[in-house]
Amino acid sequence: MAFKRNPQKFPGATKTVVIGTGDRAVTLGGENVMPLYSFDAPIENRPKVGVEISDSGYDKNVPGIAAYYAGAETIADIAKKAAAMPGADFIAISLEGADPNGENKSVDECVELCKAVGEAVDLPIVVLGCKNHDKDAKLFEKISDALQGKNILVMSASEENYKTVSASAGLAYSQKIGAESAVDINLAKQLNVLISQMGVAADNVVMNVGSAAAGYGFEYVASTMDRVKAAALAQNDNMLQNPIVTPVSDDAWSVKESIVSEADFPEWGPTEKRGVAMEITTAAACLASGSNAVILRHPESVAAIAKFIGELM
Amino acid sequence: MQYRVTFKLESGGDHKVSAAFGENILELANRAGVDIDAPCSGNGTCGKCRLRLISGAVDVTPNTHLSDEDYEDGWRLACQSAVAGDASFFVPGSAEAYKSGIRTADLSSPQETELYEREMAGIFSTGLKKGVAAAREDDYGIAVDIGTTTVTAALIRLSDGQVAAKASAGNGQIRYGADVINRIIQSSKPGGRDKLRRAVCEDTIVPMMETMLKSADVEGNRVRRCVIAGNTTMEHLFVGEDAESIRLEPYVPAFLELHGKKAAELRLPINPEAEVLFAPNVGSYVGGDITAGTLTTLLWNSNELSLFIDLGTNGELVYGNADYMLCCACSAGPAFEGGDISCGMRATVGAIESCAIDEETMEPSYEVVGGEGTVPAGLCGSGLIDTISELFRCGIISPKGKFVRDGRRIRRDEYGAAYVLAFSEETGGRDVELNEIDIDNFIRAKGAIFSAIRTMLNSLDMTVDAIDHIYLAGGIGSGIDIEKAISIGMLPRAELSKYSYIGNSSLFGACAMLISDEAADKVFEIGRNMTYIELSSHPGYMDEFVAACFLPHTDASLFED
Repeated sequence: MAFKRNPQKFPGATKTVVIGTGDRAVTLGGENVMPLYSFDAPIENRPKVGVEISDSGYDKNVPGIAAYYAGAETIADIAKKAAAMPGADFIAISLEGADPNGENKSVDECVELCKAVGEAVDLPIVVLGCKNHDKDAKLFEKISDALQGKNILVMSASEENYKTVSASAGLAYSQKIGAESAVDINLAKQLNVLISQMGVAADNVVMNVGSAAAGYGFEYVASTMDRVKAAALAQNDNMLQNPIVTPVSDDAWSVKESIVSEADFPEWGPTEKRGVAMEITTAAACLASGSNAVILRHPESVAAIAKFIGELM
Repeated sequence: MQYRVTFKLESGGDHKVSAAFGENILELANRAGVDIDAPCSGNGTCGKCRLRLISGAVDVTPNTHLSDEDYEDGWRLACQSAVAGDASFFVPGSAEAYKSGIRTADLSSPQETELYEREMAGIFSTGLKKGVAAAREDDYGIAVDIGTTTVTAALIRLSDGQVAAKASAGNGQIRYGADVINRIIQSSKPGGRDKLRRAVCEDTIVPMMETMLKSADVEGNRVRRCVIAGNTTMEHLFVGEDAESIRLEPYVPAFLELHGKKAAELRLPINPEAEVLFAPNVGSYVGGDITAGTLTTLLWNSNELSLFIDLGTNGELVYGNADYMLCCACSAGPAFEGGDISCGMRATVGAIESCAIDEETMEPSYEVVGGEGTVPAGLCGSGLIDTISELFRCGIISPKGKFVRDGRRIRRDEYGAAYVLAFSEETGGRDVELNEIDIDNFIRAKGAIFSAIRTMLNSLDMTVDAIDHIYLAGGIGSGIDIEKAISIGMLPRAELSKYSYIGNSSLFGACAMLISDEAADKVFEIGRNMTYIELSSHPGYMDEFVAACFLPHTDASLFED
């Protein structure tokens, strides 16, 4: 008997969120099938890949990254190179240097950096904060103001600062906001409810439901995303239908496998290769679990994941 | 070197005691017979054992429970202070309040008596026959409900079930901690088992029995039967049994049923040969108070599905009907009884027991235990439910319990925000306020209860719609505004007519066991037929709990019409 394809049909679909403007604007989400199930129904907006750059310049310790950005002096140069990376859909600028417990760069300095990036590239811009809730709230407010009309995405609003971020970035400056929760479907939904109660429309909100490098508790990430998608599609839960954007690079490049030198662990092979493998593995796993976009650092990872997505669509 | 420490009680009277350098003031007060409410048993976590230093000096371990002004005023936490010389303390009324005016379901009010008669009539309308084989004409019996906080008892004539006397008192073990876990820890220290046994038996139940016998003019010898119903820990500690295994994995108590105990062995002031029955335990956290209480609910006698909720420090649940019964317990913590709440108190004089808030002005109106004109001193469980429900209804707090509006009554500082119910000008003491940490603690408590209900129903593939009756018991039960409790997701959404309050179901069940062999046998049967779910090892519970820690619930559809 011939195989009869029986597509899963769902009452719900994920919402679409557009970031950026003009020709290069990117639409996230909108699918009504399980992750990557393009054989059940067409996935109109394929998953997207963001390239992460940092306020502190590019990582000169990773030869592949150093070689790719060689010669780039300013953040604008770096952003241009990142935007030219094959497979790049958007640019994500990380402001880790703004962390009050680190370099504590001023808000004004960060605003200038983001403006420079905004002028240098026409790709959509995602601003990754410094992971300090208070500082992030201040950064996002000023950056959203300075980049008005660019339709940027600020990541992230957390339970601690969602009120400020929603009011400024979301409402006053009509930018997009990411709702960040820690690998728990209920917490993810609760934050979406709180943000929606602030009056931010659902098509202005994406979720970062948390992540981990592959092998570092990733099963929790997978099951959380899986349940989020199941609730969004099968239960038509409109508080969990926002697209998921997952910053992968930070986790992938900070685990032991990506850091320890070949001299210390000769049997593990070259450090860089391991880091790339970790980034690709984690990103692929996130996409298979339900992420609508991943944020990566290494040109090889970006190329591999872009190819992975292209071939599955 | 010995020092003199004096405790001056607000209620009158001085207690003098000599003390060694470095001795803990809370322990010293216990030794001096001064009762101080210390729900956390001296861990320094609850901040309730406030005393005021009148003269002398003490060594104080720094803590966050006292403000600088309070400290300047002489306020100290007894448990965080040690003797450093002669000293005298003022013990405020609130510190010993738990002993006196606790509102309990102890048959002392006409409503309680009416409930008792109604519930007893119910139990014996099921076909169970009254009568005790061994009883002679004019024999008496005593039923005791040992609660973690309160002990209640009734002296009953066995032949006709007439209540001859009743009594209630704070559980003397309170000085060893507010919850069963702290008590178990205390009991496992050297000599602890005997200390805890004496605290509940010689210091609490024996005097209650003597008072009842005296007031009814009944000789102790004529009391030939006694029924004890308490949670598993209380029953263990009452007989001096090792309770440590209740607290440790795999949470198996030393006994479920206890037979053949005589009054003499337990040192009760009644006929030495009197048989002492214990309502059976089902598991570590579902004990005899629940099996006896289940008898009262009659859910074992009906084809309709009922949910029995006993709200206390531990929330216990029984669900089922004549064919099956499921039970579980969840740790709600002391929030429902006013613990873990900065201005929390038990339902004694001065407690705000109900509250309404104006949506526009955010001004509160409330009722205080003790009647009009009583100065508010804090919030009890029902007042807490009311206040949080009103704050949420008025949009003053978010579903996460954080303040989202501002005004005269909202106070913000570095630790978060608070709603002031009564300013210090009105109270003459501290402001009565509810802060975000309090609300958070409450949300966890209500989340624990609700998620336990959901987990239990889910394990049967049922929803709350399947429930035909909901019986509420426990001290807090009578004062609860059901509608408000539903509005914040503490109790399941169901028609109000499905809810009923059944008073001190444990004591009523124990009374029925006292006057009827058949009822006693039925309680043992109930105990054996219950399926116990251990939530702490249930895979879905944690998930349900996080979902329930939101107002009213992460899945709002559960609370929509």
